[in-house]
Amino acid sequence: MISHSRASRPIVDPSSVKIIGIGGAGANHIERVALDGMDAASLLLLSADARVLGACVAPEKIQLGESLLKGLGAGGDPELGEKALLEAEPALRRSIDGHEFVFICVGLGGGTGSGAAPAVARIAREAGAFVVVIATMPFAFEGKRRREQADDALAKLSAHASALITFDNNRMGETVLAKQGAHDAFAATDQLIGESIRAITRIVTRPGLIHLGLDDLISALGDAASPCLFGSGLADGKDRSSAALRKAIASPLLDQGALLKDAQTVLVHACGGEDLTLLEIELLMQGLQKFVRDDAHLIFGAAIDPSLGGALSLTLISSLPDGSFLPAVRELPAARELPAEKTFAEPAAKSQAQPEEAPLFATTPSIEKQAPEPEIFPAPSSPAADAAESSSFELFESAPTAARQTEEPPAPEPEPAAAPKRAKKPPEAEPDPQKVKLSVKATGTQSELSLDSVPRGRFEGENPNVFEGEDLDLPPFLRKKK
Amino acid sequence: MARRSKIHVGIEIGTSKTCLVVGEVKPDSAIKILGIGETKSAGVRKGEIFDYAQTRACLRDALAKAEDAADVEIGSVYLAVTGSHIQGVNHRGTYRLPDGEPVVGPEHVEEARTIAREVHIPPDHVYIHPIIRNYWLDGLEHSTSPVGLFGKTVEADFHVVHGIGTRIQNSIKLVREMPLEVDDIVFSPIATAQMALNREHRENGALVIDIGGGTTDYALYLGGVITASGCIPVGGDHVTNDIHLVTNLPFSKAEQLKITEGDASGDPAKSVGTARLHDDRGFAEVEVSRAVLNETIHQRLEETLRLVLRQLPEGSVDAIGAGVFLTGGTSLMRGFDELAYQVFGRDIYRPEPPEISGIQASFRDPRYATAIGLIRYALIVEAERVSPPGFFGRITRMFLPFGN
Repeated sequence: MISHSRASRPIVDPSSVKIIGIGGAGANHIERVALDGMDAASLLLLSADARVLGACVAPEKIQLGESLLKGLGAGGDPELGEKALLEAEPALRRSIDGHEFVFICVGLGGGTGSGAAPAVARIAREAGAFVVVIATMPFAFEGKRRREQADDALAKLSAHASALITFDNNRMGETVLAKQGAHDAFAATDQLIGESIRAITRIVTRPGLIHLGLDDLISALGDAASPCLFGSGLADGKDRSSAALRKAIASPLLDQGALLKDAQTVLVHACGGEDLTLLEIELLMQGLQKFVRDDAHLIFGAAIDPSLGGALSLTLISSLPDGSFLPAVRELPAARELPAEKTFAEPAAKSQAQPEEAPLFATTPSIEKQAPEPEIFPAPSSPAADAAESSSFELFESAPTAARQTEEPPAPEPEPAAAPKRAKKPPEAEPDPQKVKLSVKATGTQSELSLDSVPRGRFEGENPNVFEGEDLDLPPFLRKKK
Repeated sequence: MARRSKIHVGIEIGTSKTCLVVGEVKPDSAIKILGIGETKSAGVRKGEIFDYAQTRACLRDALAKAEDAADVEIGSVYLAVTGSHIQGVNHRGTYRLPDGEPVVGPEHVEEARTIAREVHIPPDHVYIHPIIRNYWLDGLEHSTSPVGLFGKTVEADFHVVHGIGTRIQNSIKLVREMPLEVDDIVFSPIATAQMALNREHRENGALVIDIGGGTTDYALYLGGVITASGCIPVGGDHVTNDIHLVTNLPFSKAEQLKITEGDASGDPAKSVGTARLHDDRGFAEVEVSRAVLNETIHQRLEETLRLVLRQLPEGSVDAIGAGVFLTGGTSLMRGFDELAYQVFGRDIYRPEPPEISGIQASFRDPRYATAIGLIRYALIVEAERVSPPGFFGRITRMFLPFGN
């Protein structure tokens, strides 16, 4: 028999991935990425501030507005930020040239980030790259002006980026900070962003047994208003499939899996060593079924990566329907757990991008970031959609979402069931912050009730036997909450 | 002249079985078990009745068996009730003596007791027992009523058990339909504790856990008085159900595997290889990895015991001197004592059957602990009820030996 290698069909060569951090927040993100190790990808920092440039470990740095700003920051003025970038444009073009996949990490609201990011996205697109923008939105307390600047920048970005993920700092303010030190919160955000970069890179760079493409990614990330859900886990040993799932579900963005109940499309990517068995994949998917709705659209991908050795890594990417909001992440410990898992991950991870690596130190908290309100826009939004964007970026999209939804059939997996639902939502959405809170609660309770769909054997059809917040009729063996 | 012996009957309508125990209390307070009527329950889940017609049939069957075995006609019974709606809380009532009355009088104690019993319970709940724990006189503990002592403030410390009224009424109604009179209703773990613990155990501090088919009932005694009681709606049924859900075996096989092969200790040495069930012809018809089977059981029971642990007042486990007493059918599970030790870190015992004569085999079985405990409870209640009539009552009884 002639053996046929089905190995290589990567869309993107790992070495053609470029991660660009812009401004102070961007510097922190890529610092995290650099410390966690990101094999072949090259890192680039763009900043106007000479101090930030000097302090960052990124191997490649370009100073913006060398003559215009003279080594100082843009002072919160996006126009200055943009001008400064244009000054450095030739150097940037040279640096991006030849990279097919560009991540842009930026904290919006300030001068350098908001001003330069849209231009960087445009330049990268012009160079022919697939551009994923990961943007953090400013805190509400930073004022209306910064919020407006961020919204403007986001609208511009959505025109240029192939995919756009936003993390909203307000979310972090509501959830993480309440219980944890600011340092931890910011470090957790950095790590989360680093992880999502690596997971996305891995999905698109590893040749898959069951291949996932960029189209799948866009469809899982949903439209712009959908908060992104992300979790990844790595485990080895006998029970690695369920252990990996458990760790992935423990991600603070998933709230122990409760939030997956609302997701309409879930992208699952399993990556294992040569010994990955079909049974494991099956077990994994069975386990996952408990967390997602029956009618959820599961996009599954599997890949073999010899460098993982005996380990199995699992990545879940999804988004909540727009308008729903992340309920408070109950225990940040979930975020803390990540470092613990890291000891595990490290040996296998060395050579390759791995989802969990611990933050070795907390990054400076002066940067803004976190908590996902990630959203992705299909690249070519129409001008109408753009206009909508800027006005509606208040956490909730209202009517314009529907508009965009309808004029954007390009998503290859259009989720027929999901689309009409989303279209309905906008009328209910209101920009009133009070309402926002209420809707948070509603989502929380609903997702708990939906536990009923799990088989319950002889207790089928009875009221959930809830005791101290857990349904005691379900086997602890399957609940595995500990 | 002594009182004549009296017959008491305890009924427990449990999740897995309905049983009646007929006991004779001799004049010297010794108990003799005359007979037991037992039948498999139907229509009960997690200690609560959900199908009255079926449960009634079972109860009737058990009643007939018990009357047969004991050769007596049963007229009235003590009924054990349980269910997760039943809770025990501690409450203290304080009464300050009016000025100019330096000596505590009976009416003052009564006042304190009344106050103590007034626990705020949900509107649909009713009191099942107010159990006096102890009295306090000016901050000093007294185990008996401080009537006649000098003092300013009398406090009565009660353990009040309450539950949803309608559910308890329905249980009583069911028994009355037999027709049987209900002498008293007793929260199961309290009945169990009567049988499982002696005075010394209670003095030193002991925890009784009765883990049955559908519920896990517990009662904690510290310093001779009840400190906590309650019910967790998880039992042996859940273990079977877990095995069914995890391994996809039918219930009957899951149950059989649980009984014949399961081990709760979580000891990896006992989780090697596969567990098999053989059919009549000796073929292995069911095969399950012991690791999965034992882990399923272990996690369920460990969680249950930890829930019990969490319900107990803080620090109370450290105060347990005598140990933890395990009864109920599920306590027969292999390795359960090891598991309980891991959770509580206290000595684990199976209760010594107290001085009871009769059918030895039955009352040694922890499955009957509650029903037998009811007889002991009846004995104690009866003793309390009889003495108050005082001298006159005793005289009457002497002349009317066939009374009561």
